[in-house]
Amino acid sequence: MVELIKVSKRYPPDVTALSSVSLSVDRGEMFFIIGRSGAGKTTILKLISSMEPPTSGLVEISGQTIHRLKGGKLAKLRQKIGVAYQDFKLLTDRTAAENIAISMEVSYKKPQIIRNRVRSLLEQLDLADKHDTITGELSRGEQQRVTLARAVANSPTMVLVDEPTGNLDADTTERVVKLLQNSHKSGATVIIATHDESIYRNTSCRIMELRQGAIHSIVRGDQA
Amino acid sequence: MSFWFTVLRQVGRNLRQTWMSQIMTLLTVSLSVLIFSLFYLIYTNMLTVGDQLGDDLRLIVYLEEQPVPEMQEQLRRKITAFDDVEEIKFISPEEAYEKFANQLGNDRDVLEDMPRDFLPPSIEVTPLKTLRSLNQIKLFSDYLAKLPGTLKVQYGQDWMERFFNFTRLLSIVVLLSGSLLILTTVFMVAYTIRLTIFGRHDELELLKLVGATNAYIRTPFLLEGLFQGLLGSMFGLAMLYMLFRWITERFAGPGFLSMIQFTFFPPVTIATIIVISVLLCTVGSHTSMQKYIKV
Ligand SMILES: Nc1ncnc2c1ncn2[C@@H]1O[C@H](COP(=O)(O)OP(=O)(O)O)[C@@H](O)[C@H]1O
Ligand SMILES: [Mg+2]
Repeated sequence: MVELIKVSKRYPPDVTALSSVSLSVDRGEMFFIIGRSGAGKTTILKLISSMEPPTSGLVEISGQTIHRLKGGKLAKLRQKIGVAYQDFKLLTDRTAAENIAISMEVSYKKPQIIRNRVRSLLEQLDLADKHDTITGELSRGEQQRVTLARAVANSPTMVLVDEPTGNLDADTTERVVKLLQNSHKSGATVIIATHDESIYRNTSCRIMELRQGAIHSIVRGDQA
Repeated sequence: MSFWFTVLRQVGRNLRQTWMSQIMTLLTVSLSVLIFSLFYLIYTNMLTVGDQLGDDLRLIVYLEEQPVPEMQEQLRRKITAFDDVEEIKFISPEEAYEKFANQLGNDRDVLEDMPRDFLPPSIEVTPLKTLRSLNQIKLFSDYLAKLPGTLKVQYGQDWMERFFNFTRLLSIVVLLSGSLLILTTVFMVAYTIRLTIFGRHDELELLKLVGATNAYIRTPFLLEGLFQGLLGSMFGLAMLYMLFRWITERFAGPGFLSMIQFTFFPPVTIATIIVISVLLCTVGSHTSMQKYIKV
């Protein structure tokens, strides 16, 4: 599904965020990226979601080199990738419901379907009463969950999640993990960048640790 | 179905966010359409007036002596060598006498003592009623004056010239106001759409990230330009129509202007003006997008 081949990323002027990372994530796999702050987790997700081009190397999704895609093809691919950004990227003058709906509207889902899906997601994330609240007025933990809901709303084939539990208590963390597991069970490839040990402690999935932009280790959760 | 639903909702959002400048643009578009079509309306009406006046227009060429039939043929050829004409009529001194006497009516006795051939023979040339031949009437008369045996050429020289100079000036004004229309509409529409784009920058960025296609992002803006052109031109034309009604009603009744039959644009012209405004505004919004929405 996702293939990184000797990928390096340098930010101007001379910050090397990733150096020669090679990685392959299978279709339908749940995959954790861990490491200290500044290790390059967010950068990997940005490369996979084609927000940033690699400085060198190849990033392929389903056999397509994504930074060569343009226009309609790139749009189609992005509709199939749901991303929960570390900085949320919510439209703070719109309601929670409107923010979640965006990812479905761009693929022209029927209003009725969108409404139902939004309600059900808000329900699952314990945000049912925030349906019509402007996201600018939500707490960070609530904003984080709205971001996640937007990422999974359009039933993408791949979900990228950046620090999904940074601002959450144990109970809501559990709800978030549940939601991600549901996505995974319904067949989506899920890649989670985190330094929150509690969400990968009991997993049997692969866990990759980054250190200073390079792969330190890739292990199975149940073998660690 | 849901495509247009989403697009229209987006247009609604844009309108809500920038309604002030939207209204300004709408007014500018209406005003430019009004100015242009006002001049154009005056121009087309002047042309009809010119047509009506041209109906009675004849050039009278006075000759030294009555031409013999071969000479008549030769003159005919020379006249049509300059331009096609509607009619060429040779008038002998006797016919001229009769005509003059008829015009005098009851006073015809004053001619009693005159010889029947005291008036010079002449040719009546009726030019074609096309704008081109009316425009070069002066040249035509100069040409006729140089024919052999010509004494003098006569027609309503003065006012004809003034009239056609005026319509020529008017056609320049029409062209200028037309260019003004093009510039203002394209510029103003491009400008408001740029405002909208800047105002919604975060949203457009996000839309691209979640996989919105070009069509999804751009159609609302194109539609916005299209509405501006449609509403603006209809509004401008409506104002012109009211102005037209007001003027024709005010100057109805006896007076100089009542001799002329003023007409408004035919439906085809109205449709053309609207379609062109719509096209211009759509082009305006398209340029803005090319510049400010990089996909
Ligand atoms: N846009 C940027 N411009 C310059 N440097 C950046 C940019 N984004 C990230 N970096 C740097 O790249 C490195 C990796 O960052 P990041 O991928 O965000 O790490 P993580 O998500 O693991 O905390 C850091 O040193 C960070 O300062
Ligand atoms: Mg990060």
